[in-house]
Parts: sequence; C-alpha cells; structure tokens
Amino acid sequence: MNAAPTPTRKYDLSFARYVYQNIDGGDRMAKCMQCGTCSGSCPLGDQMDYGPRKLFMMIRAGMKEAVLTSNTIWNCVSCYNCVVRCPRKVPVTYILHDLATLAVKEGYEQAKTAINARFAKAFWWSAARWGRTDERLVTAIYYFSFGLSQGMKMSLANLKIAQAMVKTKRMHLGMPHKIKNGGDLKAILAKAAEIQARDH
Amino acid sequence: MTSEGLRSQTILVVGGGIGGMTTAVEAAEAGYDVILLEKSATLGGRVAQLSRYFPKLCHPTCGLEINFQRIKKNRRIKVMTMTSVAGVEGTRGDYSVTVTTTPRHVKANCTACGDCGRAAESMVPSPFNYGMDTVKAAYLPHEMAFPQFYVVDPSVVGTPEGEKIAAACKIGAVDLAAKPETFQLTVGAIVWATGWQPYDPAKITTYGHGRVPNVITNVEMERLAAHDGPTHGKILRPSDGKEPKKVALIQCAGSRDNNHLAYCSRICCLASMKHAAYLREQYADAEVDIYYIDIRAHDKLEAFYRKIKADPQVNWIKSKPSRIEVAEDGGPMVCGENTLTREIYAKSYDLVVLATGMQSSVKAGAPAAEMDDYGFVVPHDGSAGIGSAGVASGPLDVSMTVQSATAAALRAIQAVSGVRNASEVS
Repeated sequence: MNAAPTPTRKYDLSFARYVYQNIDGGDRMAKCMQCGTCSGSCPLGDQMDYGPRKLFMMIRAGMKEAVLTSNTIWNCVSCYNCVVRCPRKVPVTYILHDLATLAVKEGYEQAKTAINARFAKAFWWSAARWGRTDERLVTAIYYFSFGLSQGMKMSLANLKIAQAMVKTKRMHLGMPHKIKNGGDLKAILAKAAEIQARDH
Repeated sequence: MTSEGLRSQTILVVGGGIGGMTTAVEAAEAGYDVILLEKSATLGGRVAQLSRYFPKLCHPTCGLEINFQRIKKNRRIKVMTMTSVAGVEGTRGDYSVTVTTTPRHVKANCTACGDCGRAAESMVPSPFNYGMDTVKAAYLPHEMAFPQFYVVDPSVVGTPEGEKIAAACKIGAVDLAAKPETFQLTVGAIVWATGWQPYDPAKITTYGHGRVPNVITNVEMERLAAHDGPTHGKILRPSDGKEPKKVALIQCAGSRDNNHLAYCSRICCLASMKHAAYLREQYADAEVDIYYIDIRAHDKLEAFYRKIKADPQVNWIKSKPSRIEVAEDGGPMVCGENTLTREIYAKSYDLVVLATGMQSSVKAGAPAAEMDDYGFVVPHDGSAGIGSAGVASGPLDVSMTVQSATAAALRAIQAVSGVRNASEVS
C-alpha cells in the first residue's frame, strides 16, 4: 500500500480517490448518497466523533487528518447493522476497519493510544502467539499499555471480577492454553503477511 | 394507409387503470378497434383507490367519470373485466392471445340494486380498501364501479348462503355455476398497461409494518382519507381509532434502495406532501414530520412543495430512518440520524406512514413482455407490435401516465396500420 496522499488544496480529491482505490470496500463508498441510515443504525453512534455518513463526507472533502485521527474508526464493533441496511450496499464495517489499519500504518498517535487500538494489539499478540486468547495476558497487556501505575490501578479495580471468574472456572491459573500445531498457525500468518505485502 | 397484409388491426390493451383506459379511448377515438382487458372486477385501477390527486387535490372520480363515459359511448371498445392474459403467440399484426376469466358469478344484466348484498351474511376482506375493512360476500367493488355490476365472492359458492344470495336476485342475474373460461383473441398489437403494486412493506423489516402498531403505508393512508374508505374519510389511527396528532411520513420506504427497489418511484414525495395536506386540513393542531433523502418535486410540482413547505407545522427532516421501534406508550418510534444536524434521534408518533414505492405488476416470465432491469415493460416504438403504457413502463404519476398512454396508443396504431410517419401516408 502506497502512503495515502495528504490533500493540500481546496477541492483536492486525492485522498478520496486513494480511499476508493485502496481501502477495502472503498469502491462502494463512492456510491454513498448521504442518507444517514448507517449513523442512525450504529449502536455506538453517540460515542463516535463522527458517524460513518459524516466520516465518508469528510473523506470526500479531503480531511485526511481528521478522518484518520477520529475515534470512529476505532469504535466500530462490527455489528453490521449499517452494512445490512445501507441502501447502496456500502460495506461500512470493512471500510472503518481498513481505515484503522491505514491510521496504524501512517503512524498516527491515535492509532497507538485509542483504547480499541491498545486492546486490538493485546488481542492480536495472544492470538498470534498462542492461537488462543488468554484473558489474563490480554487484559494485562491492555492495562499495562497505559503505564505501570495506571496498569496496577486498573488491575486492582478488576481483581474481584478476576477472582470470581477463577472461582467459577471461567478463567484458569497456570500456563496459557495453546492450540496444537502452533507452527502451522505461524506459517499461515507468515503467508498472509506475504500476500498483504504483495497485493497492497 | 397501408396495412402490409396484417391480419388484425385490433389493439389489445392489458390493464384497465388510468393508463389502459386512456390508451383504449385514444386509439378507439382515432378509429381503431380496442379490446380492454382488466384483471379485477372494475376499471379504474389504483387511481380509483386514491382519495385525491396531487398537486391540485381534486378527486379522481372526475377523471374516471370522463373516461368511463368515453368508453361507454365508443362502440369500438370492448371491455372484459376479471380477465387476464395467459399466453401470447404470433407476430405484429397477427397475435393469438390466450385469455382466462375468473367468474364474477353475476351476469351482465345486473342492475346493481343491492338485493344480493342485503341477502349476504358473511364478510370478506375488502381488496379495494387493502383489506383494512370487510365487505359482504356479495358486493359492489366500490361506489364508482364500472361496469356497475355486483361481485359474488367465491367463498359462498356452493353454500346455503350462496343459494340465498342467488334467490334474492329478482332478475336472476346471480350465476353460481359460472366457471373460469379460457379463450383466444386475435389482435394486431398489444399494449401492456398493467400498472403497479405497492412494494410489500413486510420486506422492509426494520420499519416494522405489521409488527409495530400504527405503521401504515401510503396507499393505506389514501384509503383512510377517502370518503368511501374504512373510516369514511376521517384519518384515524388503526390501533384504537384515535385522531393522529403527531405523524411521521417516511420517504423512500423500499425505493432507492439496492436491498429493495433500486430506482426512485417518483410519486412518493408528492404523495407524502399530499398526505401532509390531508392531515393539516383535518387537524389544525397536527404536527407532521417528513423524513426524506432528497425531495424530488420535479417540474411543475415544485409549487406544491413550496406550498407545503410554507406550513410551519410540517417539519422536514433530512434522514433515511434506520428503524422503527415500539415506544414505551406502545406506539411507533422512529430512529435514525438527522444528516443536517448530525443528531441521533428517537421520536415517538401517533401514526407513521411509509411511502412505499411502485413495483411493476408484471411478473418475471410474463408472456411476451420484454422487461427492463427493474421489471418494467419496455415501451417499444411503432415498429414493434408489443409496447407498454403508463406505470407498466416505469414509475409515473397520473398526468405523466396519461401522456405515456396517449403515446402508447399512437405507437399501437402505427403498429397495426404499418404507417410509421406522415410521409408514408399516400
């Protein structure tokens, strides 16, 4: 994937064109008619800086910085309400996730500090390392990504829940569970990375 | 005038709505024989079911009356009701059309005295009122029914009630033994004027028609506002008969949506504005919210839009609502994003009217109807023997339908006469 261009002039469509061509589902986004069904359907709509509809308009307006630093791209929970209801069949969920990936690649601070980015990172670490998510490690990596003292504070605040989960066997102590043939998973992930590097 | 050895110069018009009637009358008044087929018991189609037309808010009885008179007076027009096309064979100038009739169980000597209706006891859903109320099993389809004959519902045939209905007719016009019939017609040209049906609102699951109380469609609203409708013209909400004071009109319910009808149905914007006018006329304190993607009041209809827009109790909300839920008071609640203010709203209403779109009545695979991507019949020029008129060719309002039908009559005349333009006339 080439770096996304940053619009410099008024009516600069370079970023919009980049999104249409490079972002997953971006070609359909060109068909958005700004009806607002997506934003109205979103269960987290009121916790987003901008709803998907407005975000798409901002892409067209060349507001690359505002788009890639918004929390919208991190707050999508993949419920697919918008995708099912969109009258123009725009795959909103794919677009938001791929915009988040773009924000990571472009090194935006928000892509490192957004809570969903932190959680996604911890989740991915566990999934890639063990083939499973280990609740203790995922939460620990997530909590301590905020720093040592904040991490301790968050851990202590949730200690009671953790104890209850251990007691009811919803969480275990000891080594993390892992899948059989972890080497195969590594090979699959390596191949996926290779395909991504080649095709983008 | 050349006829190119065409076997028949008769024009078959399929569908007796405003488009079909206009095609038939125009062709017949120009001197051609016309057979006008109608699937239901009376002519008039969807127009007869309207309360009023936009933009002048006059009553459809007027336009229908004139056309009924013209049909009645013209000997070249043969009307066949309760008849539909089963198959078409042949080429321009020589089509053999197979048609089937469903029995009306009332003969043409019916005087519409109403004795059979008084004798009937059981009730059947009224198709004229979209099933919102019921009629006696022997009924006149509606006040302005043309031809003015009663219909006996097949559900009472073979029952003691049926015998009672037949016995009540002093002139013996009730014929319970009538059976469906199939026969052939030979015609030179065919005009599909099959019109439209409202898009099935149950398919728009997020809008809750049939699940959320007091969510109705625009065609149901027409019946509620009509003096011969289920509420005798007073707009009352279906659940409890209360006067609706807060009403939402939702545009593009099914239209402009790749999950439903991909095209714009063209009439719904104006139809909803007309509904706002109905409501504001009946209830001085009514608040009407119109939810829209874009307002498409084209051409001369802009004036009507401005008139409704000047009303401070009609609010315009630029938004395609995402869903309709049941509010705490049990009524409908409309949810979505106002795209101008970017506000996420959830507003409760007494009544919600879905502006459902127009869907072609011609089913895929219908005999000899070439259809476009949206299921409408392609209106070929006069070199083809088969064309279309009115909404059968695409979404149109009544006045555009009449224009389209006049054009279709001309093309059909060209088809059966073999004359394409003035220079060919010797």
